[in-house]
Amino acid sequence: MIHMNARIVGIGTAAILVLIFFAVVVTPRYTNPMADQPSMNHRARTAIEESGRDLYISLGCQYCHSQYIRRIDWDTGAERIAQAGDYVGEYAPQLGSSRNGPDLSQQGGEHTDDWHAAHFYNPRYTRPESFMPPFSYLTGTELAGITAYLQSLGGHMADQRVARQWQWRGQATAAYEAGADANIEWLHRNVPEGWLRVPNPYPITEASFLRGEVIYQRHCLGCHGPVGDGQGPAVRFIYPPPLNFTTLNRHGIEGGATGGMLYYQIMNGITGTAMPYFKRELESEKIWDVSNYVAKQFIGIVDANTEPRGIDAAFEPVDSAPVQVRGN
Amino acid sequence: MNFLLPNEPGSAARRFFLSSAIWLLVGVIFGLIGAIEMVDPDLFPAHEHLTFGRMRPLHINILVFGFLMTAFFGGFLHVIPAVCRTKLISERLANFAVWFYNAIVVAALATLPFGLTQGREYAELIWGIDIAILAAVAVLIFLVFGTIARRTESLLYVSAWYIGGGLIWTFFVFAVGNVVWQAPHGSWMGIHDQILLWFYGHNVVGLVVTPQAIGLAYYIIPRATRTPIYSHSLSLIGFWMLIVMYTHTGTHHLLQAPVPQWLKVLSIVNSISLIVPVFAFLTNVWLPLKDRFSRVFRDVGAKMVFTGTIWYFIVCLQGPYHSLPSVQRVTHFTQWVIAHSHIALLGFGGFIAMGATYYILPIILKRDLYSRLLADFQYWLMLIGTLGIFLSLTFAGLIQGEAWLMGEVVYRVLPELKIYFVVRGIAGVMVVTGAVLFVINVLLTILRKTPPLPVEGSEAETEVAA
Repeated sequence: MIHMNARIVGIGTAAILVLIFFAVVVTPRYTNPMADQPSMNHRARTAIEESGRDLYISLGCQYCHSQYIRRIDWDTGAERIAQAGDYVGEYAPQLGSSRNGPDLSQQGGEHTDDWHAAHFYNPRYTRPESFMPPFSYLTGTELAGITAYLQSLGGHMADQRVARQWQWRGQATAAYEAGADANIEWLHRNVPEGWLRVPNPYPITEASFLRGEVIYQRHCLGCHGPVGDGQGPAVRFIYPPPLNFTTLNRHGIEGGATGGMLYYQIMNGITGTAMPYFKRELESEKIWDVSNYVAKQFIGIVDANTEPRGIDAAFEPVDSAPVQVRGN
Repeated sequence: MNFLLPNEPGSAARRFFLSSAIWLLVGVIFGLIGAIEMVDPDLFPAHEHLTFGRMRPLHINILVFGFLMTAFFGGFLHVIPAVCRTKLISERLANFAVWFYNAIVVAALATLPFGLTQGREYAELIWGIDIAILAAVAVLIFLVFGTIARRTESLLYVSAWYIGGGLIWTFFVFAVGNVVWQAPHGSWMGIHDQILLWFYGHNVVGLVVTPQAIGLAYYIIPRATRTPIYSHSLSLIGFWMLIVMYTHTGTHHLLQAPVPQWLKVLSIVNSISLIVPVFAFLTNVWLPLKDRFSRVFRDVGAKMVFTGTIWYFIVCLQGPYHSLPSVQRVTHFTQWVIAHSHIALLGFGGFIAMGATYYILPIILKRDLYSRLLADFQYWLMLIGTLGIFLSLTFAGLIQGEAWLMGEVVYRVLPELKIYFVVRGIAGVMVVTGAVLFVINVLLTILRKTPPLPVEGSEAETEVAA
């Protein structure tokens, strides 16, 4: 029988612990040159971005937002799988262990600064289902810092996205300031020709209308407002402001289609403005449904199930005469 | 002097137990605030110090370093002299440790809500507090090993291995994990830091909480049931395998992150192997009870400690299982992990900490608990509460993980989680209520002036080792 004594317990186990520490912590540090080599995408941060990072750490953002994209991810930033060299030169990398919100490692350029301003003030303003805390108490300097940090996340790729946001923002602002008609004309001009000729291929049924309503409430209402007048709670932070659907009636394009245009703009977003793209979170049917909802409920131009319709989808009601829906 | 640093035997343990109960209540209240914020983020006014990102580290640090550690300290200040058949080397120094350690927890309370953090999970406390914790642990190491050195019992009982060894491991793991030589960041640079951080983070559970909890269970269950442990050899296997296996496992938190592949493989293999020390311990305390299981329920403290070992069984089957890469494809980043950590720290660590308080306090004070009924009521509140937190978050985690894997974005899944967060909040209310009862019971047990019980205590110490 082995007799244990204080020396074995204290020194013996400590010796094992130190050995294993060297094996599993120190060895990987000195045998993994890739982790000391900045990745192609890595760049150093500016002073204001660093101040934003300090705030990010201090506010505990990492408890809900991770900062590495895995091979199996589909969400924001999924275009780039994280590399060890992305974190070179960072104290306490904020990799995180929990995702109650999206991964932020490629957040830079995903949204405009004004979207972030509205979202920080109250995340529900732009994302009605979010349970992120409101950060309305941040000072202007703090908000600028943390926004700059978020826009820096993603290195060189983020810089390119941010530059693209600013480039389109110039055009979008000029168009808005040129007046309502010029704005709509600019928006139409930037929808690829083919989409302008595609009506919404799916009829509005009561069920699809209700689905469209739910999607509108979960994704659109913060900016475009419950009644589609562009007066959602986020509006006071956003410039150019969200589109007012209710006055678009007079902007129908001769021979053109509303359905395809709405679909394209929802899918792709309007880069440079606070309008994000929704192609990651809404699949095809959901975008068609919410397009029909917006067209019918707010705009008043419905081209659902009009020619050219192509082959009817198998699920469509055979008699696709317009169905009476709520609100009419 | 006699109030601040009394020399009366058991006074330091008693005070550690009382602090532990209070820190439990404080810690679970912060947890409940965080849980409510996840159901309704706009319920409380937008306020920096109340924000979820501040509540979360506060909740964890107060409960691990406030509640659990102080209860364990109180426990071993009684257990070590008992198994060594001697007196604590210095009751006054132990009482100094009470004040010093509580000042540390107050310092955590005074820094974390204000955003003073090193931004590393489980290692948030700022440099000065890190150093103070090391100093406090050093004092406790001196007390434990000083007492062991004066022992009159030649056989060193297994509780003392875990408690003494565990304190030394705590010192080392805490010092390197917090990178204390790298003030003020307390961090390495780049991805290396995360390997170090999870070596530390996992060992906060494995080498800081686990050995203390096991050490106390090894004392309390055999003593309360008057049943020796099953086998000395199994104790040895469990003890040595714990230090060898647990220390390798940290990287299983980073299986999907860009860290070396060999390290991931090593961490998975060792995570699976952890089943060996876990079952060695459980066999040792469970098997001898096979014909006398009802004895566990005689004492409410022993009942809680035994329940803690059941949680240990569950959490240590779940842990190796979800260190497998194929399981982590679903569970990583989800609430599943939060569920797991609740049964580790509240189920296993917490139940043993509360049970040790209820079991040892009457021995020190030589009088009964204030109310057994209250303690039983608390037991059920805590048990159902912990189970509620575990199940609701596990379901939420599975929903998240499966949805993400199928290409759903994080935002789209949020509405599906709400009901589980509501259930978790209700379970949290039960835990908070249990903590209130705990504080009342502990406080009144200490304050109550009743004549001491006739026997129990010093000379009635049973031979617990086989």
